[in-house]
Amino acid sequence: MIDFVQNTVDGIMFGSSYALLAIGFTIVFGVMRRINLAFGATIMLGAYAGTWLHVHYQVHVLVVVLTTVVCTVLVGIYVERLCFHAVRRDAALASMVSSFVVWMQLEEVAIHLLPERTYSFPSLIVAGSFELGPFLLRGEQITMLVLAAVMVGALHLLLHRTRYGLALRAISESPRAAAYMGIDAAWVMLCAFALVSLVGAVAGYAILATDEQITPFFGLWATFKGLIAMMLGGMGSLPGAILGGLLLGVVEAHAQWYLGNEYKDLSAYVLLFAMLVLRPGGLLGQRILGREELAFRRV
Amino acid sequence: MSYYLGLVQLIGIHTLLGLSAYVLMLTGQLSLGQAGFFAIGAYSAGILTVIFELPILPALLAAAAIASFFAFLVGFPALRVKGLMLVVATIAFSEFVRLFFFNLSWRVPRGDIEVGPDSTNGFREIRFFVANGWSAWEITAFVWIFVILVMAALWWTDRSRAGAVLRAVGEDELAAQSVGINLTAVKVTAMTAGGFIAGIGGALYAHTATYVDHLTFTVLLATFAIAYPILGGLSSVFGTLVAVIFIQGVLVEGLRFLGDWRNIVFGLLIIAAMNLKPSGLFDARTAQVLKRAVGLGGKD
Repeated sequence: MIDFVQNTVDGIMFGSSYALLAIGFTIVFGVMRRINLAFGATIMLGAYAGTWLHVHYQVHVLVVVLTTVVCTVLVGIYVERLCFHAVRRDAALASMVSSFVVWMQLEEVAIHLLPERTYSFPSLIVAGSFELGPFLLRGEQITMLVLAAVMVGALHLLLHRTRYGLALRAISESPRAAAYMGIDAAWVMLCAFALVSLVGAVAGYAILATDEQITPFFGLWATFKGLIAMMLGGMGSLPGAILGGLLLGVVEAHAQWYLGNEYKDLSAYVLLFAMLVLRPGGLLGQRILGREELAFRRV
Repeated sequence: MSYYLGLVQLIGIHTLLGLSAYVLMLTGQLSLGQAGFFAIGAYSAGILTVIFELPILPALLAAAAIASFFAFLVGFPALRVKGLMLVVATIAFSEFVRLFFFNLSWRVPRGDIEVGPDSTNGFREIRFFVANGWSAWEITAFVWIFVILVMAALWWTDRSRAGAVLRAVGEDELAAQSVGINLTAVKVTAMTAGGFIAGIGGALYAHTATYVDHLTFTVLLATFAIAYPILGGLSSVFGTLVAVIFIQGVLVEGLRFLGDWRNIVFGLLIIAAMNLKPSGLFDARTAQVLKRAVGLGGKD
């Protein structure tokens, strides 16, 4: 029983970073009805830029954090311009394939920056672990959970209390009606990309600081975890992304504990496949199915 | 010379991979699971010729049958989802297959060595062609016989009622259903056919490469599979072939002089091609122009 609770707690802690990655996918999907496969690679390149400074100039950790965030946002804007702005409005599919191709580009640049297989990644806070009754809590994981909670709260305020949030939600309801109201869709989308890159950079930093290392596989990993968490919760739904991320974290933690390490990733795919078969819209996303179908009519 | 023959073989195999996605895209389904079926074909055929010591032809057909069986199984649950959700569901399937082969270890002694899939170290001893003394020309011809057979079959299907049914489902499911087309049957058939073609491609790949491991079958391969028909257009099977030649022959090989920076230029060129020719490199207009050039087509 203690193991079970401990695993669940660990799962929720790590799942909070999955939730942030999923938010990145879900906002882009909600606004554009498109999938940005390069999201993980975007975060990875940003983090590589930070690591590069760390390796070559031994800069302070805060500079690493700042570089990671700024570079991720810049790369995110590049991806938006190339794969989403430049590709015709009705070609959701071409966007997805383009974003995958850009992924290869970004990975190539990252490997040019730092050609070795793994690099150590600096952690912002050196927090030990402490015990709470029979349970063990790691400081980094608590930081991750707090960061995620703060990001989600800020996002909620941004989406529901500002004019920009209103514009974003209007576009995701109906792009045409939003255009009639004089909303500049291109600008809103560019900002949305910068915004999700920011969220992604924070999530990426929290994950990498917990792992204390960075490898070229991080892009693939982050893309998959984010996509799966988004699908579990329901595409285009913000609470769904959070729920999906936490669910994925908990299931993975249990699979790892009871079945072994090699079943951790397998369990994620089985969970996703089961969810899509039993409840295709995800936990909270039934409503969006019809709209998504419309958006995909013309691929 | 053998280098160019290798490239020709690779183009043939990737054409099969692209065609397996092409069949599905005719019905409006987009699958990133083709890499999974390709992997099943590759591993099954390798196991059949190496461990069970079957000749290549029965092994190849059996592998394609196994791959199509799995495609059939995946087809039913995957029917419940559409569009981007199908994409992600099939990514999950293909990653599941990859992780399965990543963990699969089945070593049997053969003489004084052990052969068979060896989990992370891959599957090394698929040496049927070498052991039976096939020349590079013979292997290339063998690969292309299958490519031509599959292309001919698809080309013929497109001209029959079956092709019209496939395209009708792809254009508008509701309209297709209302004229009495059974959507489930059509989609699962397309999925199964796609699995069969990908299985043949995988089997041929395993035997020409003599070595496969789980890293061969990542989402990269799956994306190539759908990129070919998207780039080539869905108007005819030749579009896929043109796209494979463009990507594998012109871009991948032609840009080799750029060294490590190749992927960067490569990406830009694919995006440019998709934007400049939105309905595919080999769309109806190009086909018309070509036909007129060789004096086949009349006035439209």
